[in-house]
Amino acid sequence: MCRKIRGVMGSQLVTIVLIAVLAAPSVIAGTTIEWWQFWTDPGIKPTIESMVAEFEQAYPDIDIKLSDLTWADGHAKIVLALASGTGPDVLELGSDWIAQFAAAGHLADITDHVAAQQDGFQGWGMATYADRIYAKPWILGTRVLFCNRGLLTRAGFDTDFAPITWEDLLNAAVKVTALGDDIYGWGSNTAEKHRLYKKFLPFFWSAGGQLFTDDGKYCVLASDRGIAALHFYKQLHDSCGFVSNQRGIEDAFLDGKIGMTISGDWLLKRIEIEKRPIDFFTTLIPGIEFTGRSFLGGEFLAVNAASKKTDAALKFIDFITLAKSQVAFCKANRSANPASVEAQQDPYFKTNPNLQIFIKQIFSANHPPVNPEWVNMETAIEEAVEQALFGSRLVATSLHEAEKKIMKLMQE
Amino acid sequence: MVVPAARSNMLVSLGRYGLLSVILILMVFPLLWMLRISFMGTGQAISMNQVLAAGFTFSNYMDIFSGDLIGRPLLNSAAVGLAVTGGNILFCFMVAYSLARFRYLVNKLLFITVILILMIPAHIIIIPLYVLMLKTGLYDSYWALILPWLVNPIGIFLVKQYIESVPPAMEDAARIDGAGDFRIAFRIVMPLCKPALAVLAIQVFFTNWNSFLFPYILTISSELRTLPVALALYQGHQAVDWQHLMAGSSIAVLPVLVLFMFMQRHVVSGITAGAVKQ
Amino acid sequence: MRWSKPTALALALPWLLTFAAFWLFPIVYSLVMGFTDYQLLSRGYEWVGLENYRQLLADPDFIKALKNTFVFVGGTIPVTTIVSLGLALLVSRQFRGRGLFRAGYFVPSITSMVVVALIFTNLYQRGGYVALLTELVGLSPPEHGFLFDESTALYSIMAMDVWMAVGYYMLIFLAGLKSIPVELYEAAEISGSGRIRQFFWITLPLLRPVALFILVINTIKSFQVMVEIFVMTKGKFDTSTMVYFVYEKGLTTQFQFGYASAAAYVLFVIIALFSVAQFRLLRRRQPLW
Repeated sequence: MCRKIRGVMGSQLVTIVLIAVLAAPSVIAGTTIEWWQFWTDPGIKPTIESMVAEFEQAYPDIDIKLSDLTWADGHAKIVLALASGTGPDVLELGSDWIAQFAAAGHLADITDHVAAQQDGFQGWGMATYADRIYAKPWILGTRVLFCNRGLLTRAGFDTDFAPITWEDLLNAAVKVTALGDDIYGWGSNTAEKHRLYKKFLPFFWSAGGQLFTDDGKYCVLASDRGIAALHFYKQLHDSCGFVSNQRGIEDAFLDGKIGMTISGDWLLKRIEIEKRPIDFFTTLIPGIEFTGRSFLGGEFLAVNAASKKTDAALKFIDFITLAKSQVAFCKANRSANPASVEAQQDPYFKTNPNLQIFIKQIFSANHPPVNPEWVNMETAIEEAVEQALFGSRLVATSLHEAEKKIMKLMQE
Repeated sequence: MVVPAARSNMLVSLGRYGLLSVILILMVFPLLWMLRISFMGTGQAISMNQVLAAGFTFSNYMDIFSGDLIGRPLLNSAAVGLAVTGGNILFCFMVAYSLARFRYLVNKLLFITVILILMIPAHIIIIPLYVLMLKTGLYDSYWALILPWLVNPIGIFLVKQYIESVPPAMEDAARIDGAGDFRIAFRIVMPLCKPALAVLAIQVFFTNWNSFLFPYILTISSELRTLPVALALYQGHQAVDWQHLMAGSSIAVLPVLVLFMFMQRHVVSGITAGAVKQ
Repeated sequence: MRWSKPTALALALPWLLTFAAFWLFPIVYSLVMGFTDYQLLSRGYEWVGLENYRQLLADPDFIKALKNTFVFVGGTIPVTTIVSLGLALLVSRQFRGRGLFRAGYFVPSITSMVVVALIFTNLYQRGGYVALLTELVGLSPPEHGFLFDESTALYSIMAMDVWMAVGYYMLIFLAGLKSIPVELYEAAEISGSGRIRQFFWITLPLLRPVALFILVINTIKSFQVMVEIFVMTKGKFDTSTMVYFVYEKGLTTQFQFGYASAAAYVLFVIIALFSVAQFRLLRRRQPLW
């Protein structure tokens, strides 16, 4: 009898040990990743959530905890969190924030991990600091020229006309402005932080201007080409400009009051969602003699250097940036530019002429330098543009002053 | 030309009233403008024609309350305002009583400190207070909105002056009866100080209700925004959504106006205290 | 009256604690920070001595903010003081409806600066009410609105500030006027002094302490102008002020605590000097008898 009892207890013991051993990995390996992201709009949030759900299904031992940020205070929240060591594992970052955080050592160096994926994505330049990569490109953003076909035809142009050179642009803008009191040929941004420079730089770059010399040592904002660009920008603004903030310009454009303006893919989304009956088309940014260069930015995914779950975090980032995830996201958000090359080949983009323009523009777009002081440089450039447009400063003087400021920032 | 006395008096009177009225219109106009726009329907431009021609509608007010654009900030302002006011009433009284009745050398020093604090410009603590709140984990919490403002030096000054004008007879009597210090302070003197405390309460509440800078700096979550912060950060769907913004502003101004109407004397004495030796 | 010391201390304790924690400590902390290169994002920080101050003097943004602050103070204080004195004189005598007028002049000053700034942003906008008035008198308003033009932006904000403040100081002047014994005026009447003489020889001198009080608190307040700038222009078009500079450098983008603290201390010293100067200048003489 004792032997039987011992036998039963023995097998029970074995069972318990077995269960413990088998269950242990899932108990130990169950991790939670925190992700802070900016897509809070009710139209797109469900897509984000379903992507997360899909990931959790594919990787049952990883849980994702989602937190929302708004563009108004997101940057400050991230700064505060990183500084106090309470940041998330995965962060969504705007392209112009990467330098600041990478330089302070808050982002994990993922160069080795993404080495094999380099060819599959565009936009690495914006995530590279001191020759190391600190974030993965997710959704790119560029700016193109939006044109109101109705107004252009009324002004006497053919239905398939699209401005290619600056001369075309100015000519068209002037003719459209002449159409009436309430009609303007060009939508020109007013002094808006973090926006105005994105409207001016395309002209700057299209004129062949460079922010820095090739060796990166000197700022050459106030070169002849830069001055010519700002002159032209001012001319467009003064003679045909409807001046307002971004929202005001978009509203007026959608109301059919503006002939042309530079904007991003969110405007396509607005037109679709609000079902606006506007006859419009997009075209590449005009240059002096041929197509010009636009502004490139985007959303990136980075790993917190202080995170202890880098592996899981990277798995998550890779999943989000899969071609199929990107296509699904872009469809829901009407975004034009997935960073994944494979995603860009999807018929969804190929069959939409406007989205095609955006994708084409990416190949002809520059991004700002990856420099921790960039935000201050951006401010200096914006001030120069503001003073030339709204103040009493000469174009050349404003640019020279900005150049001096930027040089000082570089020396610090 | 000799103008009859009565006539010339009337002219002077008329002239005076005319001047006064012109000034009154100048002073009150912007607030009336705010009200007018708050009752205009959205989608209407704010041009002079529209302002005069457009009708009246409550839709803006309904929108901001139902869209929860102002409900939470209103509650926050009210809660924080009451907390700070209550705190001030209690703590200012306490230290004022201590300074007024307990004659120690240190107290003289402390009183001078109170006067000095009145002169310290608040901007100097913007950065350090921010850092302090971050480090103590009080950043972005109601504590940050309340704690630093619990004892206002103006309040101390006000109440102390008042206490000094109250003869200590009752306190002495109570002491002889064997009452303890705290009892005397709270049961006997504090009720006597109601007028000064009322003035203090109004001053503190007004200042707190209207304050923007520190509530903005010491918080970041939208749930913790007070009214002025919510208004300043309001981003409407239109280019600038004046109608809703003005409706929110009117709501922010309303309590202050109402309080002023009913407690005018207190408001005035709060402001003039310390300015004129009475 | 041997009242116990521990009680005195206990009663003063809440104040002492909050004062020490939220005023004394921060003021000292800020001074120390001003000598370091402390930034929110950087891992460590270093003592840099007077380097921040040197940088400030070479910083064009700082100089601009300094200049604008002085323009603001110099422009608003004399105007506010004179206008509020005028208003006080206007409503000091008894007459029908006096209370209504007083209240009406005072109301702007109890509203929130944010509300006022928002209303005036609307009034100053392109095609707005003020633009219309300007056209009525034959001048042409700035093309994009008063706040979008370097030559008018700061002055527009100053005008708004004066509008808001006059009622407040009018009240204080009224209290001062009330405290002047009527007998003095009566005596002057009897001895044949006209109104104007009475004003300059009785009213003004006896208003000195009140005027000093107003001057000092108005100066301290005006040097710290910031909220208007934040709401209306965010420092654009040459409207940045000292406190706005401190906010921008210290609490946005790069969170440069050390640098911003140094700037705050520069302002602190300026305000202190001005207050002392005002006291010295205006308190010198005793009342006439």
